[in-house]
Amino acid sequence: MSLDLTKVAAQVGNMVARLKASDEERRRRLQTALDTLNDKSLDLEGLKKKIESSQTTWLVAGLTDGLSPRYKAPPLPPEFSILATDGSHIDVDRHQSTRCYLINIGAVVLDYGANPRAFLDSFPSLYFGDEELVIAPDGAKGRAQPIEGALLGIKRGVDECRRLAELAKELPKDSSSLALLDGSLILWGLAGQSYPEFVTEALLIKGFLRYLEEIRRLNADRRLALASYISFPRSSDVVNALRVARCPHEIIDTDQLCGECASRECEAVAGVQDRELFANTLEEGERSALFSSQSKIVKDHYGGHWVHFFYLRVDGEIARVEIPQWAAQDESLLDLTHSLVLDQCRRGQGYPVALAEAHEQAVVTGADRESFWQLVESLLIGEHLPTPTSAKSFSKRTRWV
Amino acid sequence: MAEKERVGEVIEASTTTLTAQCYELYEIPPLGSLVKTGDSSAELYAIVYNAATTSLEPGRRPIARGKDETSEEAIYRSSPQLAKLLRSEFGAVVVGHKEGDRLYHHLPPQPARIHSFVYQCPPAEVREFGQSFDFLNILLNAGLPVPAEELVSAALRQMSRAHKDPRAFLVAAGKELAILLSGNLNQLKAILGRIKQ
Repeated sequence: MSLDLTKVAAQVGNMVARLKASDEERRRRLQTALDTLNDKSLDLEGLKKKIESSQTTWLVAGLTDGLSPRYKAPPLPPEFSILATDGSHIDVDRHQSTRCYLINIGAVVLDYGANPRAFLDSFPSLYFGDEELVIAPDGAKGRAQPIEGALLGIKRGVDECRRLAELAKELPKDSSSLALLDGSLILWGLAGQSYPEFVTEALLIKGFLRYLEEIRRLNADRRLALASYISFPRSSDVVNALRVARCPHEIIDTDQLCGECASRECEAVAGVQDRELFANTLEEGERSALFSSQSKIVKDHYGGHWVHFFYLRVDGEIARVEIPQWAAQDESLLDLTHSLVLDQCRRGQGYPVALAEAHEQAVVTGADRESFWQLVESLLIGEHLPTPTSAKSFSKRTRWV
Repeated sequence: MAEKERVGEVIEASTTTLTAQCYELYEIPPLGSLVKTGDSSAELYAIVYNAATTSLEPGRRPIARGKDETSEEAIYRSSPQLAKLLRSEFGAVVVGHKEGDRLYHHLPPQPARIHSFVYQCPPAEVREFGQSFDFLNILLNAGLPVPAEELVSAALRQMSRAHKDPRAFLVAAGKELAILLSGNLNQLKAILGRIKQ
């Protein structure tokens, strides 16, 4: 039986009524946030220090060049390349006879200028060895972590970055290029869960950050920027910086002091998202000021790749673009990122065309998954190996009344 | 003999027709031209009856992109991925085959194999194949989505170009058609009108 929409309709109606009722309040808060953002009397140096010293449960953007500056897109270089990768996977299925997973990385290189060219390909890799199915600690301490579910998602992100670094090595010297990833440069999956330290070591330090470093080093003889693109971001780092700005207290510690605070000045902007803020300030093609992430995982591990970000208005949407510190501090790489991301979005109906094509190369459909398991099974049968599957899996495949 | 020109690869095949994908976008052999596929032991001849350029993936339709571009070429330059996402393919109706040195103007015992290469026939081979008009009967009765008079006339026009005296070739073909279509003068008239020089 499929979902009974008639039973859901009334509940959807209630949801919309609630949203409508709170709309007025949301608009008031957004206006307060905008007023604070554009408040010329703010002591930005003081605010920067206050943010750095504050202890908050919410994520606050670090300031680099203030709150309200906005920048027009620099001109495009005459010749440039865009590299992008995206991934998709088939997770370990405990109802199948074989333990294995598959990661499919879609890779795209688009050259623009006098000799336009496109390279589109996909690189599927099957992982099945005992050592590939878990992340094990180096010594005897700790329990090996199986690579499946959320952890497989993180590993896929690392593989996307590795493939991007490999593509970047092929770029000609003295070229101008942008390497693009989808989503965040911050491996949130590792931040949220309490994985053992050796997992962070294997995936982040010896994985993701190593490949970011490889990309950074290629800048010795070419201009190569790196960015990740988040469409329709839900973050509120900058709005939280405004909360800090509105707080009348010198020291902020949400765990210790906010409970006793009587004024709750900061609540006047609560619930507003950065996207709404910049939709009201940025003109088409403009980017916001540069901010830095203050998340714990970045502070603890990212070092020279410390994640910075800006917001960009393109085709009426506000996107968040994250870049590593080395690309943020080099003005020419920052400009290159701004102009090339914008150009990609314009060529791609509002979303970077290289990322869209990388996704198309990577995508694994439900039918593909089914075919994959059938292939595994038929090869096992061909070799006269046992193929036991669970009764649950069988009942899903063969439905009856 | 001139170097054989490879134009595509078989992606669908039956006893009567084959579909081939072109290696380069828009590099499609002309309507009515003679192509061949297979290896030296068994070659199969076919006449192009249809061609199409579509999106590589059925779920992704091309969209209009040229509003702010000055030329069609500029669209392809500013979106270099297009050439990789579109494909040209053509259908050809099987009209004969060759086993060893013998040429037959009737259907082969086996259809073409998937992924076998498709070549455009050089003029000498076209002349050799055109020595008999038996293939006309296959074209007239193939029941293809393209009108038979369009296909027959296109095939004869293409073949005539390989001959030193195209007119003599077309006159001979016309005589053959007069016999084949003695009961369908309208169709005969339509074809003759289309091959008249």
